[in-house]
Amino acid sequence: MRTGAQRAWEWLIERLIQVAGALAVVFVLLIFVFLVRDALPIFRETTVGELVGGKTWLPTADPPKFGLLPLILGSLYVTLGALVISIPLGVACATFISEVAPRWMRETLKPAVEMLATIPSVIFGFLGLLLVGPWLADRLGLPVGLFAALGSLMLAFMAMPMIVSVSEDAIRSVPRALRENSLALGATRWQTIRRVVLPAARSGIVAAVLLGLGRAIGETMTVLMVTGNAAVIPQGLEGFLRPVRTMTATIAAEMGETAYHTPHYHALFAIGLLLFIITFVTNTIADAVTRRGGRMGR
Amino acid sequence: MGSPDVGAELILRPEGEIKLETSGVNLFYDGFQALREVSVAVPARRITALIGPSGCGKSSFLRCLNRMNDLIDGARVVGDVLLDGNSIYDRATDVAELRKRVGMVFQAPNPFPMSIYDNVAYGPRLHGTRGREKLDEIVESSLRGAALWDEVKDGLRKSALDLSGGQQQRLSIARVLAVEPEVLLMDEPCSALDPTATFRIEELMLELMERYTIVIVTHNMYQASRVSQYTGFFLLGELIEYGVTTQIFENPKDRRTDDYVRGRFG
Repeated sequence: MRTGAQRAWEWLIERLIQVAGALAVVFVLLIFVFLVRDALPIFRETTVGELVGGKTWLPTADPPKFGLLPLILGSLYVTLGALVISIPLGVACATFISEVAPRWMRETLKPAVEMLATIPSVIFGFLGLLLVGPWLADRLGLPVGLFAALGSLMLAFMAMPMIVSVSEDAIRSVPRALRENSLALGATRWQTIRRVVLPAARSGIVAAVLLGLGRAIGETMTVLMVTGNAAVIPQGLEGFLRPVRTMTATIAAEMGETAYHTPHYHALFAIGLLLFIITFVTNTIADAVTRRGGRMGR
Repeated sequence: MGSPDVGAELILRPEGEIKLETSGVNLFYDGFQALREVSVAVPARRITALIGPSGCGKSSFLRCLNRMNDLIDGARVVGDVLLDGNSIYDRATDVAELRKRVGMVFQAPNPFPMSIYDNVAYGPRLHGTRGREKLDEIVESSLRGAALWDEVKDGLRKSALDLSGGQQQRLSIARVLAVEPEVLLMDEPCSALDPTATFRIEELMLELMERYTIVIVTHNMYQASRVSQYTGFFLLGELIEYGVTTQIFENPKDRRTDDYVRGRFG
């Protein structure tokens, strides 16, 4: 029999869990509202077109110039570069772990790759700044050891664990029977992976890549340390070997030295809002892709 | 367990051409022994049924015949399997080539997540068949061979996942026929099907017998007696008795076979 006290207790627990669940959504909304509120006043100084399309970022000049294009392109270069490196490596690594590696190796490799995710980003910045950057600059004959591709390389290592882990789950969840059917038709292991396993895991792999993208575009500390932070518009492929500045690094570097409620301050919030929207959209797409994959997979 | 000298009398060696032959096959999964000294000769262009209660090793044995057990971690085969007199466990054996010659239809149909056409063309494409016309021809003849053509010919581009269970199983058969195997291994191919679909598959097997050597594992003794010419009875990893199907069902020599076919256990 349930006593009144027990019922009250049940009720209390249920409400608490409800509140906890609602809080997550409330926080996201609050952050959004906060960003919008402090970003909007920038439009007293400039227009959306001038902000997003402006070619010069000189927030402390007189008159100040709030052109985000160099920063947006900076982020784009670093992120795309990171994806170019981390997608093939990550998917190949996931395929190896799930399809090729013997049991003991699989059980060692996956936690090891996931361990990569626990390394603080400042450590990657450190490595890039002191070790990889100078070494690469020396090999490639670059004037400085801080450039976009170095940021890409470091970010690639940071996005890898996510890509490997999520794609490996997707690849492994392809029914064993599909593999057996392919092999029983005389397919080699590689033919089976390429023609049956990877296509069947496609939606999971796409989601993994989008999550990796979200991770890479939002990363701050590493890029701040290794990309040189010059707010110039990168040109062509050459741009990868020159210093750039990303949106995240701009906020991190400048926010501390900006007076409250100045146009500069509001411009930084506008960058934050833009980042928020980009990661929100990629995550939403990743989520939708995973769900759709879940429905189609049987 | 029957003593070996008695056991030898219970295993018939069929007359005529022998397609597959095993000698002293033992199968181990890590520490567990799933098969003990199985020696049997499978005649060409006949249907051989393997019966026995669940866990008796009949499916495991089937998977030794195209080396599907290689895929299981910790599985080890001792003994030999000869296909046309050549060992398939030889180091030099190309396993993919072997499985092309010894096709397999599984218990549950598992179409690839692609169109009906691409499912059937999957094998031929793997083995280098290119060219639209050639593939069209193979797809049609394989689907006809599996008695599925008339039902799907207007929707070959539709997803194979939309077919019914019975159609999917016939698609699995068409997919195997498309690679033109010599032997067809069928692992309880009708266990997930309704009686109508089962009947169609059985009819199909009798047609296919003219060109293929078929080995079928089945739980269903009526099915074994309806379609097969030879039957082997497995119990606890051993082949207890092997002979002409009518003899196994009407006049078994071993008491355990007798108990099983009369439905006293299993």
